[in-house]
Amino acid sequence: MLISWRYRERNTLIQKLDPRARWIFLLTVMFSVIQFWDIRFLAFFLGLSLVYYFLARLTWKETRRVWTFVLILVVVIIGLNALITGRGGSTAVLRDTRHTVWEVRWVVPGVGWTIHLFITVEKIVFALAQMMRMLTIAVLFIPVAFTFNPNHYGVTFRRLGLPDKVAFSMDLAFRFVPTLAHDFSLTLDAQRARGYEVEKLSGGLIAQIRKMAPLIVPVTINAIVGAEDIVNAMDLRCFGLRPRTWLQELRYAPRDDALIGFSVVVLVGSLLARALLRIGDFWVPDAVLRLFGF
Amino acid sequence: MVRLSADLPLRIERLTFRYHTRPEPALRDVSLTLEPGELLLVAGASGCGKTTLIRCINGLIPRTYRGELQGRILVYGQDARSMSMAEFSQKVGTLLQDPERQIVGSFVLNEVAFGLENLGLPRAEIRARVEEVLAYLGISHLRDREIFHLSGGEKQKVALAGVLAMRPGILLLDEPLASLDPVSAQEALALFRRLADEGTAIILVEHRVEDALSIRPDRVLFMQDGWIAYSGPPDGMTDAVDYRQVKLPAPLILQRAAANSPPHFEPAIRPNGREPLVIFEDVSFAYDEAGPPVIQDVNLTIRRGDIIALLGPNGAGKTTLVKHAIGLLKPRQGRVLIGGRDTREMSVAQVARTLGYVFQHPGHMLFAPTVREELAFGPKNLGFSPEETDRAVARAVEIVNLRGLEGYPPLALSFGQQKRVSIAAVLAMRSRILVMDEPTAGQDYWNYMAFMDSILQMPGFAAVLFITHNLDLAICYANRVVLMAEGRIAADGPPPEVLSDLELLRRCRIVPTSLLRLNLEYLPRTGRFMRAEALAHV
Amino acid sequence: MERKKWYAFGTREVVYSALGAALYGVLSFATNMLALPAAGNLALRPAVCIPMFFGVAFGPWVGFITGFLGNIIGDALSGWGFWFWWDLGNGLMGLIPGFAASMITNYRATRSFVVADLFSILGVIVGMGLASLSEIWVSGIDLNTATVGYFLPAALTDIVNGIILVPILMVAYAAIVGRTGR
Ligand SMILES: Nc1ncnc2c1ncn2[C@@H]1O[C@H](COP(=O)(O)OP(=O)(O)OP(=O)(O)O)[C@@H](O)[C@H]1O
Ligand SMILES: Nc1ncnc2c1ncn2[C@@H]1O[C@H](COP(=O)(O)OP(=O)(O)OP(=O)(O)O)[C@@H](O)[C@H]1O
Ligand SMILES: [Mg+2]
Ligand SMILES: [Mg+2]
Repeated sequence: MLISWRYRERNTLIQKLDPRARWIFLLTVMFSVIQFWDIRFLAFFLGLSLVYYFLARLTWKETRRVWTFVLILVVVIIGLNALITGRGGSTAVLRDTRHTVWEVRWVVPGVGWTIHLFITVEKIVFALAQMMRMLTIAVLFIPVAFTFNPNHYGVTFRRLGLPDKVAFSMDLAFRFVPTLAHDFSLTLDAQRARGYEVEKLSGGLIAQIRKMAPLIVPVTINAIVGAEDIVNAMDLRCFGLRPRTWLQELRYAPRDDALIGFSVVVLVGSLLARALLRIGDFWVPDAVLRLFGF
Repeated sequence: MVRLSADLPLRIERLTFRYHTRPEPALRDVSLTLEPGELLLVAGASGCGKTTLIRCINGLIPRTYRGELQGRILVYGQDARSMSMAEFSQKVGTLLQDPERQIVGSFVLNEVAFGLENLGLPRAEIRARVEEVLAYLGISHLRDREIFHLSGGEKQKVALAGVLAMRPGILLLDEPLASLDPVSAQEALALFRRLADEGTAIILVEHRVEDALSIRPDRVLFMQDGWIAYSGPPDGMTDAVDYRQVKLPAPLILQRAAANSPPHFEPAIRPNGREPLVIFEDVSFAYDEAGPPVIQDVNLTIRRGDIIALLGPNGAGKTTLVKHAIGLLKPRQGRVLIGGRDTREMSVAQVARTLGYVFQHPGHMLFAPTVREELAFGPKNLGFSPEETDRAVARAVEIVNLRGLEGYPPLALSFGQQKRVSIAAVLAMRSRILVMDEPTAGQDYWNYMAFMDSILQMPGFAAVLFITHNLDLAICYANRVVLMAEGRIAADGPPPEVLSDLELLRRCRIVPTSLLRLNLEYLPRTGRFMRAEALAHV
Repeated sequence: MERKKWYAFGTREVVYSALGAALYGVLSFATNMLALPAAGNLALRPAVCIPMFFGVAFGPWVGFITGFLGNIIGDALSGWGFWFWWDLGNGLMGLIPGFAASMITNYRATRSFVVADLFSILGVIVGMGLASLSEIWVSGIDLNTATVGYFLPAALTDIVNGIILVPILMVAYAAIVGRTGR
């Protein structure tokens, strides 16, 4: 199994930005979005993240998979919500469900339970708002894996304030990935040569899980045994004795400062809007009501 | 006088060390000195304390390995106990055995810079030093390459660069040749010699004494369970050393073995009845359609009674070829027949009934809590009945003589024993053809010779094929040699025929050994190749 | 040998964290690739035993980084995007078993298995719990939806995989602790 990172050098504006600035942007926007339920504000954030997304210039081919995943998630969650919400949570807004659009009461024959399902204008708008929030955040973070260079995670988070050791263990992890992937395929071959057939895992769930041991155990134990040498090699080269220099240098360019400034404004703005102006709560446009003839 | 000796790079006085987890010491009363530019070869069987000695000198003992340490170690006149790891690292550099297991950077640049980064040096200086050492080792072109895609030899140079960047006066090399093919090994040795000539004091730990002697070490240290059995000039060592334990040049073995009784080795497999077992017909393969073919138009027939040594440089396609034999890979062109059936129509499990494939590193397959369960894994997968399984396992244990260890966890066994378990796992599946990828890698001379002897004397195999970089192994054991180069079969025939063509060997990047030369010399009298001990008695 | 302080984070911890994270990432990716039968690959997430085991064997910090970073790596490899709260949840699935580390000396004892499994279960409940709850105020679902839609499916499979595989790994590890003695 030859694994490959989704990351690729694309020389886009996004990738020219300093990784720290981009993380700050992503996190502040995420925290801002989740302040709002008003689709007008949500529309703004969705737009913002879409702009960011398209600046990343990802191809449909490489993102097809995650998109199907996201869409299924959205559908399932909204579906579930539409059926079983209305009690507490952030969905308290739905308690007054006056404008009923569609409704069924169905008595289950025999048992005698009544199932009461109803769709209201509020629920529809709420579902819309929800979808916008989920999409905004998904769209915001999908490019991470594709556009951040795995080999700069360490220095990035060091400069964002993590300790040397933790930051370096990130770099080290990315260093191990190809090696371990190779070991895994070796183990897979070795076990198949002993008649082990992953494709034909039989038995109940438990039995199937136990049957993963021949794959997982050798790879894990092998890696742990090998770790002793690596620990020695690092100790021998003074790892962790004093604050270390990181060869990769990160420098903020004016555009990075701009991005960070913008992020801060957005966050502070959102907090103020909610806390002081008390705007951005759930809101049902009259247009929609009229649309359904209320 | 005193002052002079104080300036010696290294002076060890009556060193004794015991790991806190062990009852008996791993080093006993070891004393030695090292002069600038001196190259000291340390040899000895596995477990004799070589690595422990290295750990004492580079400060890992007693810092990360705890235990009881007696005696004195002076590094450039300074007592090791009083030195910090930072001081150590800039006086003593250590290259561990497996480069893959000591490289911490994803890219060559980061790896070489690692130590300097940890010392907190300014970026400019780090870059300068890295460039310098890369240029010195002649690998500047690798500077921005990704480690994972380097060859074994390149990886080792990079690891060495990472050590040299710290500018140590003493260089410790712990079995640096273990994971290299002959050509890369030669290069590495030449490099060590050059470093010594330019003033670095070097301690070279190596089983492959024969190869190591080729760069004229100034002194040799031979260790036996923690003691120094011999210390002095190379010539003297050969008397002190047991030629069965350490690989000496063939002519020396010849002299010494004459005294003892001849070795009795009779392979259980005889070239009788030429019934074909595995047939490759015009097989070609590439890992991806677009990519270059890794093996091309290979025609090869493995017959009952064959003991085949498959030789060739790194990347020649040896492993790829044998993976076709067990159906792990299916040819893109041509076909592979096993017992007359095309592997395309068989699952790997089905092939495994007739052909057992032993991977190079047992660690890649051992998982069970006991040897018994480990061995039962294969038979169970092949649908043996419980009784059959028990019988097969018992027999396998018998053959590789692991009796008494059935209830023992395989992962806790020594490397040699694990290797035997991995063979037994194949035997238990009743495979009649044994295929081994680099069966001797990572074991010392004595261990792997004993190991090969026992396997080839095992009953039950119709044919054996082993991949190796070790030419002498082919000479001692094979009755047929297949040479591979650039994905094609360059030669195929009885050892004397194939290996006497030195021009051919050179083209396949195989370095003739003293044993080969000796055998070619004796060939008129013997008519076949044999090990040096046997030659002593013809 | 005397036990280290649970919060100690030296070179060994750095290496084991990195190793664990890489392993978790690669194994999630790989078991994702292998065409596993049963109710899709979701039902079989054997890799979750890695953060739990690394926690149990090497302590909470190692466990946390293994889970957190490992999940990021796994998603990065298979292109699942980046889901901060779920990464955090996975981190907790390694952190909490890590507190069992100081109680376990003999990795073969049944008692150790029980302790490890209990902490693993707790870890899953807290970790997946947090991740699911986070969805309440991230995507604004209510508790029922969070429970039915996120928590139960994730938690159940993780628990089953964890309690079965962690002891298996512990037994294997018991066999090598002696060899890599410090
Ligand atoms: N970390 C350790 N803890 C306990 N015992 C150890 C440790 N490392 C080595 N030993 C023991 O110390 C003795 C010497 O081991 P050492 O590794 O120095 O031998 P060696 O000559 O390097 O062997 P090899 O050639 O196989 O590398 C052996 O009995 C070994 O089992
Ligand atoms: N899984 C793989 N995917 C792509 N290329 C591969 C793979 N395995 C091997 N190769 C390439 O195929 C070629 C032959 O590899 P192979 O392992 O068969 O050589 P080898 O003769 O076994 O070398 P060595 O002596 O180092 O084991 C090499 O160039 C290698 O890079
Ligand atoms: Mg050693
Ligand atoms: Mg090979």
